[in-house]
Amino acid sequence: MSTIVIPPGRCLRTLPRALRPSTAPFSTSTHRSLPAPAKKKTGTFAPPKRGERTLKLKKRDVVRETRPPAPGERKAVRKRIVLSNTNALEPAGLVDLTADMAGAEEVRGRVVGIPGEVVDALRVVEGFKVGQGWAFFRRPAALMRNEVVELAREMEGVEQARGADERAVGSGVRDLGGQTLRKLVYGERGTGKSVLLLQAMATAFLRGWVVISIPEARDLYLGQTEYAPLPNTSPVQYTQNEYTAKLLAQIAKANRPVLSKLKLTHAHNLPIKIKPGLTLDAFAELGVNDPEIAWPVFQALWTELTAPAAEADAEGKAVAVPRPQILLAIDNVAPILRPTQYKTLDADGKLRPIHPQDFVLVKHFLDYFRGARTLPQGGLVLAATSGNETVKSDALSVGIAMAEARVANPENKQLKLGDFWNLYKEMDMRSLEAVMDVEALKLEGLSKAEARAVIEYWAGNGMVRSRVEEGFVGEKWTLAGGGVVGELEKAVVRMRF
Amino acid sequence: MARLRISPSCAFALPLRPRTQLPRWHSGRPSPVDQSFAPLRQFADSNASKPADGSSTDVLPSISEEAAAVAKATGRGGPDIEQGTPVQDVVKDDIEAQKHLPKVMLDELKAAKPTGSRSYSTSAFRREQLETTGSSDTGLESAVLDAVSAMGASSAKEMEAAGVKFGLPSLPLPPDANLHYRYHPVVQQVVGLLMRHGKKATAQRNVNLILAHLRTAPPPVFRADRPLAPGHPPPSHLPLNPVLYLTLAIDSAAPLMRIVQLRGAAGGGVSLPVPKPLNLRQRRRAAIRWIIDAAAKRRNHGSGKGMLAKRIAEEMIAVVEGRSSVWEKRNVLHKLGVSARANMSFSRTKRSMF
Repeated sequence: MSTIVIPPGRCLRTLPRALRPSTAPFSTSTHRSLPAPAKKKTGTFAPPKRGERTLKLKKRDVVRETRPPAPGERKAVRKRIVLSNTNALEPAGLVDLTADMAGAEEVRGRVVGIPGEVVDALRVVEGFKVGQGWAFFRRPAALMRNEVVELAREMEGVEQARGADERAVGSGVRDLGGQTLRKLVYGERGTGKSVLLLQAMATAFLRGWVVISIPEARDLYLGQTEYAPLPNTSPVQYTQNEYTAKLLAQIAKANRPVLSKLKLTHAHNLPIKIKPGLTLDAFAELGVNDPEIAWPVFQALWTELTAPAAEADAEGKAVAVPRPQILLAIDNVAPILRPTQYKTLDADGKLRPIHPQDFVLVKHFLDYFRGARTLPQGGLVLAATSGNETVKSDALSVGIAMAEARVANPENKQLKLGDFWNLYKEMDMRSLEAVMDVEALKLEGLSKAEARAVIEYWAGNGMVRSRVEEGFVGEKWTLAGGGVVGELEKAVVRMRF
Repeated sequence: MARLRISPSCAFALPLRPRTQLPRWHSGRPSPVDQSFAPLRQFADSNASKPADGSSTDVLPSISEEAAAVAKATGRGGPDIEQGTPVQDVVKDDIEAQKHLPKVMLDELKAAKPTGSRSYSTSAFRREQLETTGSSDTGLESAVLDAVSAMGASSAKEMEAAGVKFGLPSLPLPPDANLHYRYHPVVQQVVGLLMRHGKKATAQRNVNLILAHLRTAPPPVFRADRPLAPGHPPPSHLPLNPVLYLTLAIDSAAPLMRIVQLRGAAGGGVSLPVPKPLNLRQRRRAAIRWIIDAAAKRRNHGSGKGMLAKRIAEEMIAVVEGRSSVWEKRNVLHKLGVSARANMSFSRTKRSMF
C-alpha cells in the first residue's frame, strides 16, 4: 500500500470550497470580533529613569462600595439613648411613680418605674445620659434612695409654704413669698448624681412644676455654640442665641401640659408683634423659630413665669394668678464656674477668656443658684458636679470644702475663706461667690438594703443569673466600693472585670 | 448476665442497656476526668454470687449490677459500661427485629429525631466531661426563675460551725473560685485574642461591650442549613445569657481540624496536606480569629470607642444566624480535610523510612 503525501497548500485547495477556511490572510475591512484585551499595566516598580532623582509611585484609588455616612449620622449613633431592652423580662410588681408617692415613706429604698409621659418629657430635657445603663432593662425605673425621698419632701414643703402664703396674700399682693431651695449635688464618680437630678425632674413634672434644665453646662463653656454681644451693655454682655433657642424649644415641649394652660398677662417690648392671649408654650416657640429674638423671648417668658400680673376676677377684684413652681437643673456645673474658652480682645489688645457670668443665660442661672435672686412662687435650683473631672473648677472645690466644713461644724457660722483657698492659686472670685454659701448634698454608696433592692430589680429584668442572696449582695456591694451604684451595675449586670 | 434475644434473624445475643446519650453541647468549664478501671476478679474473691445448685457455670450479675459493685468497692465512678453496640443501633434498619422490641424502646425509636444536627458529632467535649459537668448546667429558664424566686428570700443555708465567722463554703468549690480562673474560659480566651500591645483592660472593656451588645440585640433567627452546635437553647434564651450566646457562636464556627502541609511528602517537591485534629481550645482559637478577621472587614456605622466591639458582636450574631463568611471558611477547610484524610497515615517519621 502506497501513500501519497500532498503538500499542505495543495491539500487545502483539493477540499470543497465550503470546507476551506473563509478568512483571508490579509484584509482592509475592520475586524468584527472584539479587539484583544489590552495588556495589563504592570505597577511602576521599575527604578527611576535616568536623570530622575525621585521615585514616583502611583497611588491606588480607594473604591468606596457604600455611601459615606451623612453629616452627623455617626454622632447620632454615638449619642443615641436607648431606654428599653425588649429581651429583658417584665419585672414583677414594679409600680409607677406618682406625684404623691415621691416623698412617701413606703417607697423609700424601693425601685419605682418612671411613667411613660414623664419619660418623654425627660427625654426632651435630656435627663437621660449616654453612659447610663437604661438600655439593659425593660423600661426606665430608678431606686428611691434616701436622698431622693428627702428631696421630694423638701419640694412638697416648697409647695405648702407657697400655699400658706397665697392664702395670706389672697387680696392680690404680688409677692408670693415662695421658698427657693438651692442645692449642689456632689459625690464620687458613679454615685448617681445625674440620676438624682433626673428623679428630681421626674418628681417636678409629676407635681406640675416647670422644669428648665441645662443638661450639660460644658456646652456653654466650650466655645462651640455661637455667641454675640448684647447691644447697649457695659461691660459687654453676650448672648448665646442658638443655645437659648434650643433651650426654649425644650422648655416648651417638655412643659407643654403646664404652659399650655397659662397665658401672657404682661405687655412685653419685643421686636415682633405678639398676639394677645397667647399661651406660654406657643410664646416660647416664637423664640425657637427665630434665634435672633430667643433671648428677649426667654426674658419675657421668665417674667411671665415669675411675676404674674394681678388679674381681675368676676367681681372686679384683683387676684394673683397662680404660677407653677420652677425647677432649675444644671448638670456638670464645673465648666461655668471658671473662665470659658470664648475669647475677646480686651482694651490692651490682648485675647482674654470671657467669664461665664458675662453670658446672660449663664448669669441668669447662676444668680438663682447663688441666691442673688429668688423665685417668687418658690422652687428648687439644683446643680450637680460630674465625676469626670476633665474640666476642673477651683472655685467649686473651695465651695464644696466650705459646705463640708459647715456640715461638720454647724456652730461655726463665719468660715474664713483663707482656710480653704490655696493662696498660691489664682482664684476666680466671681465664680467663688456663686458657690460660697450653697448647701451641698453629698452622694455616697447605697446601703446594703438599697443595693439589694436594686439588684433584685435587675434580677427581675433577667439581667442577673445568680441567686440574689445576702452573700451575693454583700460581695457585689464591696466590689462596688461600698455600694457606688454605677460600679454596682458594672459588677452585677455587665461583665465583671 | 442478662441477655436479650430479639428475633430469630438476630442470631447473636445483645447486652440490654439504655441508649447512649448524645453528647450535649454546653458552655461550661471542663472538669477533671474521673477515670476508673474495673479490677480483675481474683481467685480470692467472694463466691457468693455462685448458684446454689452447685453448677460449675459462673452466673455473672448484670453489667449494671457489676458496675455498681465495682463502684462501691473502689469508691469511685465504676467502669464505663457504655462500650459495645447499643440495641437501638442494631435494630435501627431491621424492621423485622423492631416488631419484637419492647414498647419503651419502640417509642424512643419513633420519637422525632433532632433536625438541624450534623451527621457527625462536632462536640467539643468528651463524654466524661459531659457526665461530670452536664448536670450543673441547668437551663436558662430555671436559672432566671431561680434568681427571681430567690428575691426576698433570705439565705437558705445557715452554715454553722464553731469558730467560723462567715460559715463554711460548700464543697466542691465552684470552678470560678480560683483567682486565676475567675472568668469564663471562653471570655478569657476572647480577651486574650482581642488584646493588642498588652492592653488587657482595653480588651476586657471591648469584651464587656460585645456582651452588652449581645444582651440588647434582638434574638437571632436560626438557619436550618447552618447547623449550630447540638443541644443549643432556643434563640429567645440567648440574649439573656450573653456568655452562652458568645460561646455558641464560637463553638458552632469552630473547625474540627487544621491542615498541615508536609513538605515534599508527595514527592517531586509537592507538599502533602494532612489533616490534624484540634483540641477544644485550639478549635475555639481558630473560630475567634476567623470572627475577628471577618469583623475587621465590616463597616463602622457610628463613631467612638465602642465600634470594634460592635462590629465583632454583629459578626457573632451573623455567625449564629448563618450569614457570616466564617461558615464558608469552615466548610472549605472541612472539605479539604475530608479529601486529605487519606494522608492521615503520613507522618514525618514514616517518611524518613523511605
